[in-house]
Amino acid sequence: MLQRFLNPSVLASISSLELVAKTVVDGFVAGLHRSPDFGFSQEFAEYAAYTPGDDLRHVDWNVYARTERMFLKRYHGETNSLLTILLDASNSMQFGSHGVNKMDYARYLAASLFYLAIHGQRDAAGLITFDDEIRNYIRPSTRQGQLHRLLAGLEQAEARARTDFSKPMHYFMELLRRRGIVLIVSDFWDSPESLIRNIEPLRFRGNEVVLFHVLDPEDVVPKLSGPSILVDLETQAQLEVTPDYTRNEYREKVAAHLADLRERTQAAGMGYYLLMTDRPLDDALREYLTLRGGRN
Amino acid sequence: MGLFAPWFLAGLAGLALPFYLHLLRRQTRKPKPVSSLMLYESRTQSSTRHRRLRYFLLLSLRLAVLLLLILAFANPFINRNTAVLSSARLVLLVVDNSFSMRAGTRLPDAKDAAMSVLAGKGAARAQVAAFGSQLHLMTQPIEDQPALRAAVQAIQPGDGHGNFGELARAVRAMAESVHTPIELHLFSDMQRGEMAPAFSDMALPANVKLVTHAVVSKAQPNWTVEQVDAPGQVWGKDAKPVHVQAVIAGYGTPAAQRTVSLVVNGKTTATKPVAVPANGRASVDFPALEVPYGFSRCEVKIDAADAFPADDLRRFAVERSDPQKALLVHNYGDNRSPLYVGAALSAAAQSAFILESINVNEAADRQPSNYAFIVLSDLNTVPSLLENSLTEYVRAGGSLLIAAGTSAGGRSQIPIFGAHIVETRDYSRVPDRFMAVGSSDSSYPAVAKANGWLGVKFFYALDVDPGDARVIVRLSDQTPLLLEKRIGEGRVVLLTSGLDNLTNDFPLHPAFVPFIEQTARYLAGSERHGGARPVDAYLELRNARERAQGVEVTDPEGKRPLTLGEAASAQSFQLTEAGYYQIRLANGRQDEVGVNPDPKESNLDVMPADVLSLWRGNAAESSQEASAPGAAPPHKTPQTLWWYVMLLLFLSAIAESVLASRYLGTEREES
Repeated sequence: MLQRFLNPSVLASISSLELVAKTVVDGFVAGLHRSPDFGFSQEFAEYAAYTPGDDLRHVDWNVYARTERMFLKRYHGETNSLLTILLDASNSMQFGSHGVNKMDYARYLAASLFYLAIHGQRDAAGLITFDDEIRNYIRPSTRQGQLHRLLAGLEQAEARARTDFSKPMHYFMELLRRRGIVLIVSDFWDSPESLIRNIEPLRFRGNEVVLFHVLDPEDVVPKLSGPSILVDLETQAQLEVTPDYTRNEYREKVAAHLADLRERTQAAGMGYYLLMTDRPLDDALREYLTLRGGRN
Repeated sequence: MGLFAPWFLAGLAGLALPFYLHLLRRQTRKPKPVSSLMLYESRTQSSTRHRRLRYFLLLSLRLAVLLLLILAFANPFINRNTAVLSSARLVLLVVDNSFSMRAGTRLPDAKDAAMSVLAGKGAARAQVAAFGSQLHLMTQPIEDQPALRAAVQAIQPGDGHGNFGELARAVRAMAESVHTPIELHLFSDMQRGEMAPAFSDMALPANVKLVTHAVVSKAQPNWTVEQVDAPGQVWGKDAKPVHVQAVIAGYGTPAAQRTVSLVVNGKTTATKPVAVPANGRASVDFPALEVPYGFSRCEVKIDAADAFPADDLRRFAVERSDPQKALLVHNYGDNRSPLYVGAALSAAAQSAFILESINVNEAADRQPSNYAFIVLSDLNTVPSLLENSLTEYVRAGGSLLIAAGTSAGGRSQIPIFGAHIVETRDYSRVPDRFMAVGSSDSSYPAVAKANGWLGVKFFYALDVDPGDARVIVRLSDQTPLLLEKRIGEGRVVLLTSGLDNLTNDFPLHPAFVPFIEQTARYLAGSERHGGARPVDAYLELRNARERAQGVEVTDPEGKRPLTLGEAASAQSFQLTEAGYYQIRLANGRQDEVGVNPDPKESNLDVMPADVLSLWRGNAAESSQEASAPGAAPPHKTPQTLWWYVMLLLFLSAIAESVLASRYLGTEREES
């Protein structure tokens, strides 16, 4: 029964992003029968020998009293993670062949993740919307009302201009000073090599980088019943294409493109998830969280 | 093959439009948006070929629709032999039975010619009509030869005045309704006087072919009594002698002496010789017309000895009756108005009216309905009792002449007439010390016969607001002087000056007598009785008040032409025959009129050959005129193809719609 409401087309009819996120996450959680705590809690890991310069606050004084040797206590992970979502707001995200376009789907996805992080785990969450430059930046925070600020930022994100990861990347580096989880939501219409080259530096700061590749079904399988003129939503370039081409060559090229992107992403130590906009949101979230497993 | 309106072929330039649209359509095809063209490659050749192949049929249909539309406007026709078209063509046989066709053997000749044409047409679809002042259809379009011949034989001589303009108008109306070519055979004496004032009125439509059959070829000399001037009524047994004046005219005649007779009730009472100049006119005067009481049928006759005896007399009716009573109400002490009005009536109106003069104080016990009309002269205060009784009298059909005089200046409005008095005009203070008449309505008998009141000086007048009254005479400063207003069934005439010689010098002027005479006749309604009328004139039978009462009309043949329903409701009656009509009007009054044909019918001059050729539409075909009746040779007749073009256009438009909707459907699918 609840599953029906997780259909993207049904979610599109819900005007409040918070309600959308709540519907998706609660439904997902209810279906999973799991605790909302997903493993970001404090757990003791090991003792390490003190070396000069270490923070004295982490010294286990009880052990020192018994052994007169100084050890440091080390824990698994951070007590609280830092979640930052980079949302592509370029023109190509406007495309949609059915009730929900890619931009809406990305909004629902981001809203759901924010809800999960803030309500479920009390993590700090932030948002960066960009196209060929930074459009909006909401600093990660755990303050009261952060969820509403993020959802408002998602509401205001309007698709325009074209995607270019290279230009806003150095801004990302400045904004993402603290280590955390960086989720990039985009349709990634660029060459995989160039994409990975531009995104990979985020990983070097110790961030966990995950690419959510949002595509419309017609991005993969275009439907043409006759010769047509196609126009690029970002560049406005036009091209005359026949159905024969889209049925054969184009599909092969798309499959190769997706495989290449996945391979390069994983080779660079980043996560990659392909999300089709006709797929229920809770499926996507479940896949992501299941695969993420117990990672910190 | 040809085109009735070839200039519409200029619209062929519009054929470029579909080409332009189809080319433009290729360039402006609605693009389909995609996220990115990164993985697409251009493929154009095969698609373009495919589209051209599919849209060629649509383009062809659109070109066909435009071409047929232009052709429909250009109205193509093909020339076809009339013999081939005999079943689709209407042969219209029109026999002129106007009054001039009574001359000699014109009408029998015309009917013989029509019979010959009918015999030559075989089984053609034909229709027979008689043409006098109007076109009377004798049959429907039929192929029954005996019925058509019987219809031709049934045409009787008429007394109307033919008008070829009226014939052309009727044929134009017929051509619009039948939609087939009409072959119009006109059997007539082609009288010049029957031509329309403007030649364009005689124009015939393109699908009407006129074939004229003239029964005479040249003018014939003819004498006629062109005009008779005689009164319609004579009053009392001691009335003054009545003059009868007649004009004798000769058309194409040599100078000759003719004998003119005045006939009363069948008895010749006077005879006079008159010398009529060559192709000219002469007048003759009979000084004394003696008629008994009641209606007398009178006529003026000549011994013409020409081929047209029917126009040698002119009829008129005269009624002798007792004089009618008229009442003049004046101010106490005003002796001038009764004097002048009474003198004028007795001098001019042939003792038609007996004037009774009373002052306003004596008027209360008089019954207004006993008088033919009433004159109110210079009344300061009209008693309300008198005003009410006079208002009722007028509403019931009585007539009133009000002379405002000087005393009415103190009132705010004219009694009974109801006009608001704006101010008084005292012209003795202007430089000329009088005001003359500025403008007058010459169609009004009281003004026309008084020579427009020229030279009459007015010293005083009231300026009144005419409202809905008819202003007949105005002074030079535009002050209304003579007005008429209909109140109920009656009428009131208002003179804003007086009937004495204090406010004007009108009573001392010669124009006063005809003014009083004509006004009296007009108000008493006697000018409508007796006398003569032309054929086709209308006679007023009743006004609205008398709707429920029947009238009776007896025509010259002693028949009653009105049905019971018409007798109970008809407002007027058309006098269609020459002779004497007896009428009993709705108010019970008897009347009798003499009806005469139009004098133009007596001029037997024929239409010039060049005008006739022009009317037939082709001077080169003048040889077609049927000198031998019925010998009209077969000729080419244009038959319009408009209906076929429109049918094709309709089919093409449907095919184009179906095909275009299929293409549009495909595009919608693609989008």
